[in-house]
Amino acid sequence: MFPVLSATLILLLVGTLLTFVAGERARWVALVTSFAFLGLAAVLLYDFSGFAVAHGIELFVYPETYTWISLPWMHIDYAVGVDGISLVLILLTAFLQLATVIYSWNESKKPGAWFGLVLLTCLGCFGVFVALDVLLFFLFWEAVLVPMFFIIGYWGGPRRRYAALKFFIYTHVASIVMLVGLLVLVFYSGSTSFDFQSLQATAGELAVTAQVFVFLALFFGFGVKFPIVPFHTWLPDAHVEAPTGGSVLLAGLLLKLGGYGLIRWAVQLLPGAIPHVQWLLYAVAFASIIWGSVVSLAQRDLKRLVAFSSINHMGIVLLAIALYSSLGLLAAVLLMFAHGIVSALLFMTAGTVHHSTGSRDISKLGGMTPRTPVLATTIMIGSLASLGLPALISFPAEFIALQATWVGIGYWVLVPLIALVVTAGFYIWMMQRMLFGPPRGLPEKVDDVPRHEGMAMGILVALTVVYGLLPFLLVNLIVSSPVVGIPFP
Amino acid sequence: MTVSFDGVFAVAYLVPLFPAIAFVVVGLFGTRLRRLEWGGWVAVFFSGLAMVLSLVIALGEGLNPGKFTDQTYTWLSLPHSGTGAFPGGFSLVMGTLVDPISALMLVVVNVVGFLVMLYSIGYMHHDKGLPRYYAELSLFLTAMNGLVLSDNLLEFFLFWELVGVCSYFLIGFYYEKPSAASAAKEAFLVTRIGDVLFLLGIFIYFAVYATAGAAPGWAASGFLFTSNGHPFLGTLVGTNTPLLTVAGLMMLAGAAGKSAQFPLHVWLPDAMEGPTTVSALIHAATMVAAGVYLLAVTSLFLGFTPADQLAIVAIGGFTTLFAATMALVHRDIKRVIAYSTISQLGYMVLAVGAGFTMVGLFHLWTHAFFKALLFLAAGSVIHAVGTQDLFRMGGLGRKMRLTTIAFAVGGLSLAGIPPFAGFWSKDDVLGSVLSQTASHPLYWPFFLCALITVFLTAYYIFRAFFLAFSGAAPRDASLPEAHEPPWVMRLPLVVLSGLAIVAGLLVFIPGFPNLLPGANVPPTYGTADLFLSGLSTALGVGGIGVAYSLWGNGRVFALPESSPFQPVRRLWLRLYFMKDAYDWIGLRGVYTIARAADFVDRYVIDGTIHGVERTFAELSRRLRKIQTGVVSDYAAYVVAGLAAFLLLLIFVAPWFLHAWGV
Amino acid sequence: MTSLPLADLLGLSAALLGIGLFGILTRRNFILLLIAVEISMNAAILNFVIFSAFLSGDAGVNGQAAAVVLVGLAATEVAVGLAIVLALNRQRGSINVAEASSLKL
Repeated sequence: MFPVLSATLILLLVGTLLTFVAGERARWVALVTSFAFLGLAAVLLYDFSGFAVAHGIELFVYPETYTWISLPWMHIDYAVGVDGISLVLILLTAFLQLATVIYSWNESKKPGAWFGLVLLTCLGCFGVFVALDVLLFFLFWEAVLVPMFFIIGYWGGPRRRYAALKFFIYTHVASIVMLVGLLVLVFYSGSTSFDFQSLQATAGELAVTAQVFVFLALFFGFGVKFPIVPFHTWLPDAHVEAPTGGSVLLAGLLLKLGGYGLIRWAVQLLPGAIPHVQWLLYAVAFASIIWGSVVSLAQRDLKRLVAFSSINHMGIVLLAIALYSSLGLLAAVLLMFAHGIVSALLFMTAGTVHHSTGSRDISKLGGMTPRTPVLATTIMIGSLASLGLPALISFPAEFIALQATWVGIGYWVLVPLIALVVTAGFYIWMMQRMLFGPPRGLPEKVDDVPRHEGMAMGILVALTVVYGLLPFLLVNLIVSSPVVGIPFP
Repeated sequence: MTVSFDGVFAVAYLVPLFPAIAFVVVGLFGTRLRRLEWGGWVAVFFSGLAMVLSLVIALGEGLNPGKFTDQTYTWLSLPHSGTGAFPGGFSLVMGTLVDPISALMLVVVNVVGFLVMLYSIGYMHHDKGLPRYYAELSLFLTAMNGLVLSDNLLEFFLFWELVGVCSYFLIGFYYEKPSAASAAKEAFLVTRIGDVLFLLGIFIYFAVYATAGAAPGWAASGFLFTSNGHPFLGTLVGTNTPLLTVAGLMMLAGAAGKSAQFPLHVWLPDAMEGPTTVSALIHAATMVAAGVYLLAVTSLFLGFTPADQLAIVAIGGFTTLFAATMALVHRDIKRVIAYSTISQLGYMVLAVGAGFTMVGLFHLWTHAFFKALLFLAAGSVIHAVGTQDLFRMGGLGRKMRLTTIAFAVGGLSLAGIPPFAGFWSKDDVLGSVLSQTASHPLYWPFFLCALITVFLTAYYIFRAFFLAFSGAAPRDASLPEAHEPPWVMRLPLVVLSGLAIVAGLLVFIPGFPNLLPGANVPPTYGTADLFLSGLSTALGVGGIGVAYSLWGNGRVFALPESSPFQPVRRLWLRLYFMKDAYDWIGLRGVYTIARAADFVDRYVIDGTIHGVERTFAELSRRLRKIQTGVVSDYAAYVVAGLAAFLLLLIFVAPWFLHAWGV
Repeated sequence: MTSLPLADLLGLSAALLGIGLFGILTRRNFILLLIAVEISMNAAILNFVIFSAFLSGDAGVNGQAAAVVLVGLAATEVAVGLAIVLALNRQRGSINVAEASSLKL
């Protein structure tokens, strides 16, 4: 069988390297790579034999395993493979890479390095989504941090050094805790293999206390990426300082790594620990949901507002995962895809607002609609999608998540429901202040959306509408994965 | 007659599709047309097509009542898994359900929709935002038709939210005005509170019914109202569990948000910031009635428990009187009619709660026409004089004869004077609630509320009528010379006037009652019922009489300062302080909490992190002083370390070894 | 032939180490410092030799081998040390170690 996953990795790697050395032509290399990536993702989708997976014949499709390090006490493979969950997120990666490249088409500050780092980030995310070996996973996981550190630290705003360092330290400390957890998992379960499937078989033999300990370590490691309250303060700073493309990748992809990691490496490996830690997961999820939405209300910087709304949305993802039901996990993956697209769109609009008005301060801007109708419309679509308007992408995801919450924990569903009102509140209020009313704080000449930025946003708007109207396109992929078949407690 | 209309019912999806085409065409190309009006005519054309099709559908249902469903489009489905809460998996479909009441609603939506579209050509002709206006209005018609044709709760909710968003954009149509932008926000957020509770209700129904039907291999087919033409959800379980009571209350909450019932009514009067045409279509005839339609659908397909019914009656009955009192004192012509709308919606809710769903829908039907008529007539006045302040108008009756007649017809219908449409439906509502008082004495106060409101209604609408039209000349001489509007505006007024007269009488035409099975049969036609009709008519006439005696001379009647009614009047003018309270909660309450939370986030949570960082920085700043750079010092440290290590080895290590038993 | 007791020999090497450490801690002249380092190094070498004499078989040979290696090491160390002295003298005209503290933070 054609090793399509390795081929994609090699493609991204070659593309990244070429981009770094291509200088002024970097954008074209990046564009071609993005399209090729999208094409290979389409091949993955087209060939995806979900049937085999759903019926337990194979756990992962497109499997590839090559021995990497083989010692008597340790066996590390290059092992990759996908299931429905990772496929959905790979699709997201491909879309966002393309959109980011197009959005930042006119980047003039070291374009070679810029596009190279963008591609490297996506490469790392792709690797995380396909890796089925602890060490390989960790390698890709860490590989994502480095390009993002430079993206924020070099192309960012005035306080970029502070934000980049904060981002790096937070996520790196979390990674180390996560690594400790994973190593404990490997060595204490009596397994010599670092492979996901053999770990899945042996992890149950750990004592429950050890499982809980490992789960908590992994939860902390993945949770900081989510980010969970109270380890979230790196996110607003990173977003505010990051360049638009960086914010798009950060919100669209990097946060999803946390959710994906939690599902794949914690929930799927250590189901035995879940009954013991569920209360903590719920508590953290509710805290994130409420905190994210309430603090958003007080924000004046558009990017900070979207950043806090991300905390709120990822809190719902955590809630859906914590339910540990097939419905919940389906919802979690859908939500991650939806949030990836919508938050990327919103950060792009924030970037464009900044370009064209020179400010992102909601309280200083006003009446943008007549001056920049296209931008204003895009902001409206993004906001409405984010607050869960039906026929746009978030609605099916949130709907299933909340239905699962009701089935799982009953009236607690009121917490995310009330947060939905608050979410609507800060978006609608933002629109009222920024888009409506008499013009305010706008320079003499305000440019509407430039061509390339418009194309990138157009792609995302189209995805928002298409997947909002046809959610089964994603659902069918996800439900063909065995994780959805897990028994409901 | 057995003509099969199944072919027509099968293409019912075209009714929402026609305006959708207009939405796309006008939305994309509206601004590029040589004359902006052309886009308007496109929208008028497609809404006309939708109207014709809905009339045919209604004809079909009238001749051949039944349920026709098309459930071929699967929105998303979960496969059979054998475990979990939904062992058979489930599928959510988006389909169409044509039944008598949806046919009736289609007629309401599309007839009023078409007339308002036509009227808008004249009313909005000077506005630069015309393409936007028509695109949003077309999208609204699409969503509203979709809502009416929904065959399951999920789809219902989907379109429910979409009409809400259209309403949001249309209220904020004049978005440069801060008050309009603020009103749009308020409308969205207040209805949103109802919407999330509605969503909770959906979750409950789904979980309950899906579990009840969890036979092996049974796919919980989403939220279907009917399956193969038979009521689906309601047949699966009994209807009197506490959980279902909660679910019913959540439906009520959703309906209260959309239909502006107490305590979520505050947004509707402010929604009058939108163009008057929008008020006529969305905030009088159709969207606000969607809440009532939801209650009707719920009671037909899901069923309310007795506790739910009492709650619904309480909300509806109280709102009826509550809103009517506020309509008594306002000077803004549109706000008076808006409070009247809240009050009339209360009647509908009251009837549905009393268990007479069709009576509620009958009032919805007549109200749609006469209220749209009142709004369009008011719009014609506003178009002519450029103000909404009743106290500045006056004497318009001489200049605008057609508008005057139209407003009078609407007013008489609203006041419940026979044989106008409002009389028949309002009388049915009163009769049905009265009949329920026998079963539960708690229905009495709400019946009395409804009865008192008959008098108040007649009074406030004719107060507005006399203020605007009687007298010799406008009280404010600076107003422009009034004139009759162009034909595109006159024609809808004429048609709606006709409907406001005959809509109630239609029940005597064979076939029409099929659309409202049971509505034309009040509980009894005994003496008590006739007495009630007489009483309500008398109250209506009395209200008009009082209004004439106070305002009929064309002068503003000023309540003496010493009058004991002054505090009450002020209370009404301040809307019972509810809006102030909500603003206070929103601004002082929630926003203050948000600011505090932001402070905590920046200085406590992040501050803790920074504190840790500073501690380590300080520690290392002190520790690095021992790094003098002088070799001898380092050598001294080495020696000291060596000595310490030796001491450790000699004195401490043996103790450890001993402790471990080595 | 009578041999000295082990304790006396170890005392000698301890004395050497003490002298060397005293020199390292008190001298500021780089060359004296190097000499002091050599003395303490010789104490270690002496220890190897002493123990090799008191042990038999492979262990004894190992001690002598280590001593030879350490002598070589000491020579290289002095070579590197003197090179540093020369560089220092050329750069600053002084071989006082207390002044050579520019590598500190």
